[in-house]
Amino acid sequence: MEVIDVIISGMINGSVYALMAVGLTLVYGVSKVFNFAYGSFYSLGGYLAFSILSFKIFGGYVTVLVLAVPALLLFGYVVERAIVAPLRRWSSWEVKVMMLTLGLALLMDNLFQITYGARVKSLPVIVEGSLTVGPVIVSWQDIAIFVLSVSGMFAFRWVLNNTWVGLAVQAVAQNPNGAQIVGIPRDKIFAATFAISTVMVGLGGILLSQKYFVSPNQGWDILVKAWVITAFGGMGSIRGSLYAAFIMGMLEAFVGWMFGLTWVQFALFGVLLATLAIRPQGLMGKWG
Amino acid sequence: MDGKRRILIMAVVFGLVALLPIFFGGSKVIMHILIMCLIWSVVASCWDLIMGFAGIFSFGQVAFFVIGAYASAIFSLRLGVPPIISTFLAGAVAAAVGVLVALPCLRLKGAYVALVTFAVHMILAPFLKSNMGRAIGTGGAQGLLTIPPISLFGYTFQNAEPIPFFYLTLVVAVICSLIIILVIMSHWGTAFLTLKDSEDFARALGVSALRYKLMVFALTSFLTGMIGGFYGHYVGMLSTRMLGIDLFVTLMIMLVIGGVGQYPGAVLGAFFTVTINEMLAPVGSYRPLILGAMVLILVLALPDGVVGLIRSLFNLGGRGARAGGRMK
Amino acid sequence: MLKIEKLNAYYGEFHVLEDINMEVPRGQVVVLLGPNGHGKSTLLKSICGLVRSVKGNILYKGQNITGMSTSRLVSMGITYIAENRELFPFMTVQENLKLGAFSRAARPHLKENLDMVFTLFPRLAERKKQLASTMSGGEGRMLAIARGLMSNADLLAVDEPSLGLQPNLRLEVFRIIKEINKQGKTILVVEQNIPKIAEMADKIYVLEEGMITFEGDKEKVLSSEHMKEIFLGM
Repeated sequence: MEVIDVIISGMINGSVYALMAVGLTLVYGVSKVFNFAYGSFYSLGGYLAFSILSFKIFGGYVTVLVLAVPALLLFGYVVERAIVAPLRRWSSWEVKVMMLTLGLALLMDNLFQITYGARVKSLPVIVEGSLTVGPVIVSWQDIAIFVLSVSGMFAFRWVLNNTWVGLAVQAVAQNPNGAQIVGIPRDKIFAATFAISTVMVGLGGILLSQKYFVSPNQGWDILVKAWVITAFGGMGSIRGSLYAAFIMGMLEAFVGWMFGLTWVQFALFGVLLATLAIRPQGLMGKWG
Repeated sequence: MDGKRRILIMAVVFGLVALLPIFFGGSKVIMHILIMCLIWSVVASCWDLIMGFAGIFSFGQVAFFVIGAYASAIFSLRLGVPPIISTFLAGAVAAAVGVLVALPCLRLKGAYVALVTFAVHMILAPFLKSNMGRAIGTGGAQGLLTIPPISLFGYTFQNAEPIPFFYLTLVVAVICSLIIILVIMSHWGTAFLTLKDSEDFARALGVSALRYKLMVFALTSFLTGMIGGFYGHYVGMLSTRMLGIDLFVTLMIMLVIGGVGQYPGAVLGAFFTVTINEMLAPVGSYRPLILGAMVLILVLALPDGVVGLIRSLFNLGGRGARAGGRMK
Repeated sequence: MLKIEKLNAYYGEFHVLEDINMEVPRGQVVVLLGPNGHGKSTLLKSICGLVRSVKGNILYKGQNITGMSTSRLVSMGITYIAENRELFPFMTVQENLKLGAFSRAARPHLKENLDMVFTLFPRLAERKKQLASTMSGGEGRMLAIARGLMSNADLLAVDEPSLGLQPNLRLEVFRIIKEINKQGKTILVVEQNIPKIAEMADKIYVLEEGMITFEGDKEKVLSSEHMKEIFLGM
């Protein structure tokens, strides 16, 4: 593999990581919820795509997106309202939410295993073929993944800055009491945020599963990556997560290329500890 | 709950447990379950001490247990250290790792501690399987298979004869529980209560949050690692499968049932959960599914555990009341 | 417009308000006075749905609104303006104002209300793009009041608008409150500093240790020896 291929691979993974890490940091920034089932939501995206495509219906991935996005949105909303929100009125609810979502992750992973089996499933590529520019060859699949995740990010930014829901989400993150005073129903915004993050990580699952397959326990790896990126970028900082995701994508690609895949995890862990020891607030402070 | 009452409850529980071999001594299966109950009660108690009392959201409890188990096994297998000594060395190793991990994150907010310690858990399996792990004698993906049993004064505690081992475990569990109760009752316990109420206030009183947290982190890691080593010498083999998420969740259920910060609830939670878990063995692959569902139901239905429930039923007051008003 | 009957409020074990009865007629400025920590803010927050553990009746336009959520109350026309401002620090003045019009009732009037607010507070118009966190205390207070006005409310519940302001700014704030009242809004203000605020009040209530100890118009208050003792230290 050439250096240029490594860079491309880092960019493409980085773009999907950005989508997923921003979702994680968004929920934490708005509602102080840390979702341990985030990785399982990633798998859910992958399995949704697998199921929809297995019907061999018209439209391929377009149909997947049309069906999966609302399904993920609804799933996230219901999970928040049904099992996360009731915990808020208890003392030290943050840790109870972590415990609850850990249980949810175990439940979901095993449901996947029972439904789809323990063996990996592969998804067809979005588009075949590749693009050759001089000495560089990029598969159209990689380009599609990059374009889709970047458009996902832009769509998210548009929603955040141009809709009432988006504005309300920012308001709750910056000042929950102020948000309540102006009449924003906080509980609904918490649920909406959770739902949006579910779509972001589920979309990540759909996009990356074509490259790396779908399996029941893969989510933990994604959870750890998303969280290391979030911590590195600064918890609650969207822009920080965005930059951090690309940096981590690159780091992962280069470490994997030079030392082998096992070292990627150690490198991520090293970055995490170094970040917390040297600059605990991450790249960017808070919201920004 | 005052210290005397805690000691009384513990004395009753362990006293009753000590009598159980009279009835079940003939059944190796039941004796094995009882030994497991005792071992996990120590792990769950340590977790409760760190999470419920010190207010540190550590998610690395299973990791420290496994570190201890591997460390003790490696000391005895590769270096020929007698198991009775290597378990203590294992505790020291776990405590050292604990302090190393705690140093960067204990100054930060609760969520960070949870995530860093959980990251330790996640990184441990790949580490033990890697070439680095193999170099220090973890046996790689295959794990360790021939861990020697514990010997004391010329007697060897074989797991084929569970009754002597049971009493050995009981003694260890009682000592660990006494240490935990002493910590809760000592000025450490008071310091932690102050820290929980207001970190600023505690600092003003000269209570160094970081120092106390580090000390309790080191202590619980030590006890957890030691009992981990003990476990390794009992079962005789170790693999990285222990780091699967289902064992972690099982341990969590013990605490959820017992109630966080409701010691000795965690001990009761451990007995209950280990028993349930063994009873679920026939359902095989559905076991983790049921465990996951149990967490959801228990956390939602009993946010303060069974002990908290009993307490609120009898209206004994106690901590962990509803958070109350929405604005200051 | 607003009628309160036998209202009791609690913070945990504390009984903060005891059997409060009071009335805010349409189009008036009603001032609620009292020493710090005697429950004035709690009363205001109870009306606005920000304190939930209340017993008794709160009637707004004849409808019982006790226990309703703040978001519902805002859309019905009751808006709370906080003593500590509660702005969105990393948003611009304009964004803060826009969020003031979050309720469905207010959204269609966003533009006209923005114009109204900018005429009332020309300083804010100059600073549309400035972040709320970079504003001075006085400007922040203006922004908080302006944001409250954006909700198209009929009843404004203003919590200690003069808190932490210099004397000349206080007068400015009081003048603006009177101005808003002239435009047809009903206003309930909580204050400690009476001589200035009393001048614009149509009606005054005094709250001490969780109970209404006095009610009447401003002449009655200003002439009462007891009031002078408590508030003016005379």
